[in-house]
Amino acid sequence: MVRRPILRNLELGAATAIFVYCHAADGPNQEHCFRVTEYFQDYITVFAYLAFGVILALLLLSVASLIRPSRPTPAKAMSYESGIDPVGGGWSQTHIRYYVFALLFLIFDVEAVFIFPWAIRLEQLGWFGLWEMLVFIAILLLGLVYAIRKGVLKWE
Amino acid sequence: MTNALYIGIGPIIAVTLGVVVLLMVEVTLHPATRVWRLISFGSLISGFILAIVQWADAANNPQPIFSHMLMHDGFSAFGSIVLIIVAALGLLVAWPLVENDRARGAELVALVLLTTIGLMLLVSAANLMMVFLGLEVASISLYVIAGFIRKGARSNEAAVKYFLLGSFASAVFLYGVALVYAGTGTLEITAIAGPQFAGLTQTPVLLVGIGLIVVGLGFKVSAAPFHMWAPDVYQGSASGVTGFMNAGAKIAGFAALARILVVSFDAQRGDWGPALAVVAALSMVVGTVLAITQTDLKRMLAYSSVAHAGFIMTALVGGGAGIDALWFYVVTYAFQVVGAFGVVAAISGVASDESALKQYVGLGRRSPFLAGVLSLMMLAMAGIPLTAGFAGKFGVFRAALEAGYTWLVVLALVASAVGLYFYLRVIVRVYIDQETAEQPRVVITDGMRFALTTVAVLTVAFGVNPAPLLTVVSNALPF
Repeated sequence: MVRRPILRNLELGAATAIFVYCHAADGPNQEHCFRVTEYFQDYITVFAYLAFGVILALLLLSVASLIRPSRPTPAKAMSYESGIDPVGGGWSQTHIRYYVFALLFLIFDVEAVFIFPWAIRLEQLGWFGLWEMLVFIAILLLGLVYAIRKGVLKWE
Repeated sequence: MTNALYIGIGPIIAVTLGVVVLLMVEVTLHPATRVWRLISFGSLISGFILAIVQWADAANNPQPIFSHMLMHDGFSAFGSIVLIIVAALGLLVAWPLVENDRARGAELVALVLLTTIGLMLLVSAANLMMVFLGLEVASISLYVIAGFIRKGARSNEAAVKYFLLGSFASAVFLYGVALVYAGTGTLEITAIAGPQFAGLTQTPVLLVGIGLIVVGLGFKVSAAPFHMWAPDVYQGSASGVTGFMNAGAKIAGFAALARILVVSFDAQRGDWGPALAVVAALSMVVGTVLAITQTDLKRMLAYSSVAHAGFIMTALVGGGAGIDALWFYVVTYAFQVVGAFGVVAAISGVASDESALKQYVGLGRRSPFLAGVLSLMMLAMAGIPLTAGFAGKFGVFRAALEAGYTWLVVLALVASAVGLYFYLRVIVRVYIDQETAEQPRVVITDGMRFALTTVAVLTVAFGVNPAPLLTVVSNALPF
C-alpha cells in the first residue's frame, strides 16, 4: 500500500515513540513490543487522517473569514430549503407517518456505506465480489418492492 | 482466497430463498395460506436436506470458509439441523396464529424463518463479527415476533422490554468483542488462541472482554442474573410462538458460547470456568425458586427455562469435554420446551398471553392426548428416568464432576429435586384435581397434533435409548 510521504513520516515517528517507550518499560521482551507497535500503526493512520481533516477545515474557514467581505441580510440568514421560503421553525412537529420514508431512506443510505469499502476492494474481490454485491442490492430492492406493495408509501 | 464453499451455507441459502420467495409471492399474488405453508415448509425441508449434506461433507473435510467468516464443521451442520427441526415444529404449532391473520400472517412466517437464519449464522460463525451479526439478525426478528399481537398491551410490553434490554445486551457483547480485539489483535475465533498471540493471553483487557461476551450471550439464553426479561417477554408473546422463541435462542446461544469459550479461550479456562459455574448456580437457584411461586403456566415455564439455562451451563464449566453433554441437553430441552408451549397454545389459544394453571384442571378427562404430552414434558423437564431429560442431566452433571465442580453438581441435584415439586404440581392439576366449573372443549389442529406427537416420541426415544443421539453429538464438535 502506497502511503503519502508526510503520513508515512508521521506514522514512523509515532511508531518509534511507542517502540522506545515499550522498550524502556519491558526491557528484554522486544518481540512483544514489536507486535504492539505493528498493531498500533493502523490506529496511527486513522489518527493522522483525522488530524489532517480537522486542520484542513479550520484552515479553510479561518482564511476565508479573514479575506471575505461580511454583509449579512435577513434573506441570507434564512435556512436553506431548496429555494422555497422556510415554513415554521426548525423545532416544529413532523407527522409520525414520515418515519416510514425515513426508514426506507436509511436502508439505502446504509447500503451506500457498505458499497464504499467494497468498491475500494473490488479489483481484488473480482467477479465473486461483484455477484455478492448484486445479490445484496437485489435483496434490498425486493424489500423496497415489498414495502411499496404493502402500501406503506400511500398517504391516505 | 475467499474459499467460497457453498455446501457450508446451503441450509442458510435455502431458508433465505424461502423468506424472499414467500414475501414476494405474498405481495404480488396474494395466494391462499396453503401456499405460505408450501413455501415455508419447502424451504425448511430443503434446508434440512442441505444441512444433512453439509454434515456428511464436514465430517471428512472441516474447514473455515468465506475468508474465515464461517466454519464448515460438524458443529455448524448439527446446529443447523436442530434449528431447522425446531423452526418447523414451532411453525406447525404457530400455524393457527398465522392463518387467523390474513394480512400479516406471512410476515410472522418470514420472521420465524429469519430468526432461524440468524441462529444458523450464530452456530456457524468463525469470526466474532459474524457471531454479532447472527445474534442481531435473530434478536431483531425475535423482538418483532414478541410484539406480533399489536392490540395486546402485554405483547407490546414484551416487545419493548425485549428490544431495550436485548439491545443493551448486544452492546455489552460488542464491547466485549472490541476488548478481545484490543487484547489479541484478531476477531477470528480459531486465531485468537493461536500461537502468535501467546504472549498476550493474560492481559486484563482480554479477561474483561471474555467476561462481557459471557454476559451478552448469558442474556440471550436467559441465564440469571441476566434473566429479568424472560418471564415478561415469554408471557407477553403469543403462546403459539413462545416455544420457538425460547428453544431457538437457547440452542444457538449456547452453541455460540461453547464455540467461543472452548475454541478461543481454552487457555483462560481457569478464569471463566468458575465465573460460569457461579452464573449456572445462580440460574438454577433463581429459576427454581421463582418457578415455585407462579400461578401461570407460561410464567412458570419461563422461570424453569432460566433454571435449565443453569443446567446447560453446567456442561461448559469443564471446557471442551462437556460439549457433547451440552448438545444433548440443549437439543432435548428444545423439544420439551416446544412441546410444553405447544400444549399451552392449544389450551389457552395461540394468540393468548395468559395461561393460568387453573385452566388445566381436569385436562386429563377433556383431552387425554394434550394431558399426556404435557405430563411427559413436565416429567422430562424434571429429569425423570426414561425421559430425555434424565439422560441430559446425567451428561451435564458428569461433565461438571469430571471438571472438579462437585459443589455445583450437589447444588444442581438439590435444584432438580425442588423443581420436581412444581413440575409434578402441573400433573396433579391435570389428572387429580376436580373441576369446579365447566371448562371449554379443546380443539387442536392436525399440524399441532403432529408436532406434539413428534416431540413426545423423540423425548421418550432419546430417554429410553440415548445412544444414537449421543453418537451424533460426539461428532458435532467445533473445528
